Amino acid sequence: MNLKQKAKIKRTLIDSTFLFPALAVFIAFVVAPFIWGIPLSLTDWDGLSATKNYVGFKNYFNMFSDAHILNAFKNTGVFAVMTLILSNIFGLAIALLLQRSNKLNNITRTMVFMPYCLSMILQSYIWKYMYSDVLTGLLQLPNPLGSQFWAIFGISFICIWADTGYCMIIYVAALQGIPRDYYEVAEISGASRWQQFCKITLPMLWPAVVSNVIIYLGWGLKVYDYPMAATSGGPGRASETVAMLIYKNLFSYHKAGYGQALAVVYTILIFVIISVVAKVLRRREVEL
Amino acid sequence: MVGEKVWEKVIRVIEKLAVLLIFLSPFYIAVCYAVKSRKELTAGRLDFPKVIHWENFAEAIRRSNFFQALMNSTITTVVTVVVLLIICSMAAYVIARRKSKFFNSMYFAMLGATLIPFQSIISPLYSELRAIHLMNTLAGYCIVQIAFQSAFTTLIITGFVKSIPLELEEAAMIDGCSQYGTFWKIVFPLMKPIISTVAILDALCTWNDFQVSVVFLQKESIKNLAVTQYYFFGKNTADLNYAFAMILMSMIPILILYFSFQRYIVSGITAGAVKG
Repeated sequence: MNLKQKAKIKRTLIDSTFLFPALAVFIAFVVAPFIWGIPLSLTDWDGLSATKNYVGFKNYFNMFSDAHILNAFKNTGVFAVMTLILSNIFGLAIALLLQRSNKLNNITRTMVFMPYCLSMILQSYIWKYMYSDVLTGLLQLPNPLGSQFWAIFGISFICIWADTGYCMIIYVAALQGIPRDYYEVAEISGASRWQQFCKITLPMLWPAVVSNVIIYLGWGLKVYDYPMAATSGGPGRASETVAMLIYKNLFSYHKAGYGQALAVVYTILIFVIISVVAKVLRRREVEL
Repeated sequence: MVGEKVWEKVIRVIEKLAVLLIFLSPFYIAVCYAVKSRKELTAGRLDFPKVIHWENFAEAIRRSNFFQALMNSTITTVVTVVVLLIICSMAAYVIARRKSKFFNSMYFAMLGATLIPFQSIISPLYSELRAIHLMNTLAGYCIVQIAFQSAFTTLIITGFVKSIPLELEEAAMIDGCSQYGTFWKIVFPLMKPIISTVAILDALCTWNDFQVSVVFLQKESIKNLAVTQYYFFGKNTADLNYAFAMILMSMIPILILYFSFQRYIVSGITAGAVKG
C-alpha cells in the first residue's frame, strides 16, 4: 500500500467520525425500532407480558373486518384534505394581501403566524371555548365539536387557524421573488388581474405550492394532538384518527401486535400517498 | 379615478384589520378567562374583565407544579437543541461535501425518515428505553427527541452547506489544517445563519411536542409543560380561570421566543420549503 492510498483511507475514516454521532442516534432510536416493529406486528403481543406468539399475517387480515380502522382512516383523510386545501388557499390569499413590506403588513403577518408557535394542545383548548362560548353562546350556532358529522371539521379548522401563517410565510417569500417587470409587461399588453394571476403568479409560485402541499400532507396524515386535546376522538369515535387508534391499541387495549401491524400499514400508506402526490405535482411543475 | 383609488386603499385596510381580528380573537378568550374570578366567569364569560385577579396565577402555579414543568421543558429543550446542532452540523458537512455514494445515500435515507410517523416506532422504542433503563427519565426523553429530529435538522443544514463556497476549506487544507480543524475553525462559523434558524425551529418543535412527551414522561417530577397542560386542563374544567391562567403562563415563554427570533423562524421556514 502506498502513501497516497493510506492518506485516502485515513481521510475517509475521519470523515466517517463526522457522520457517526448523528447516524448512531438515528439508527439506534429511529431505524432500529422501526425495523423491529415489523416482526412485532406478526405476533399477538399484549404490550406488557414477556411472552408473545407468532401469528403470521393474522393481524393484517383482521384489519379488513375492523370498522374502527376504516372510520379512523376516513377521519384522518378528511382532516388532511381540509387543512391542506384551506390553509393553502387562506395562506395564499393573505400573502397576496400582505406581500408588500410596510408597517401594517408586517404587524399583521407577525400576528397571523403567532398561533403556529403555540402547542397544538393550547390551540385546541382555546378553540374548545371559542366554539362553545362564542359560536354557540354568542352566535347561537351549534358547536361542531359536539356533532358526529362536524367534529372532524371543527378540529380541522383549529389547525387551519394555526397553520395558515406557515403557508403565508412561504407564499410571501415566493411572491417577493417574482420580478415586478413581468406584471408591468402584462399590464401594458392589457392582461386583466385574473389573467395576471393565472399566467404569471401561479406558475411562478408553483414550486412553493408543491412544497406546501407535501409538508401539509405529511402533517395532516400524522395528526394526533388536535383530536386528543379537542375531543379525545369523540363524540363516540367521530373524530378518532389513525394515529390515535394505533396509540389506543398499543397502550390501552393491550393489543400491541395488532396496533403495530396497523402502524406498519399506516407508514406504508403515508409513504405511498406522499411520493405519488409529490411525483404528480412535480411533473406539473415542468409543464407550467 | 382618484376617489376609486382611495376606496380601494380603505377596503385593503379593512381587509387587513379583519384578518387581524380573526387571528387574534381566540387569544382574547385565553387572556379574558385567565384574569376573571369564578363568579365573573359564570356571570358573563366573554365580558371585558374589569379587574385583574392576579391570584388566579398563584393558584394555578400552586395546583399544577408549574415551575417544575417549566424547568423540565427548559432543560430538555436546551439539551436537545444543543446536541442536535453539534451532531447534525457535523453530519451535514460530510454529506454535503463528500461525493461518495455512501454519503449521498444517507441524504435520501434521512429524507425518507422524515415521513415515518412516530406511532410506528413508539412501541419498540418504549421497550428499548426500558431495557437500557432510560424510560421515564429526562435523558431518555432527550435522546428520543434528538433521534426523531436529527433527519430534518441534518437535511436543512446540508442544503445550506452546499451553498458555502469551497475555496476557504481548500485553502485551509493546503495549509495543513486537519479535517476537524477545517470544520470547527472555518466551516462552522460560516454556518451561523442556518444554525440560529435551525436552533429556533428545533426549540419550537421540542417545547411544543406532546405525542412523544405523553409516552415518555409519565412520572410527576419529570413532566414537561405540554403534558402538565394536558392533564391540568382536563382536571380543572370546572375552574376555568385557573386552567386558562396556566395556559396563559405557558404561552409567555414561547411568545417571547417568537417575538425575539421571528426573523430566524421566517428564514428557516423559507429555507425548509425550498428543500421540500
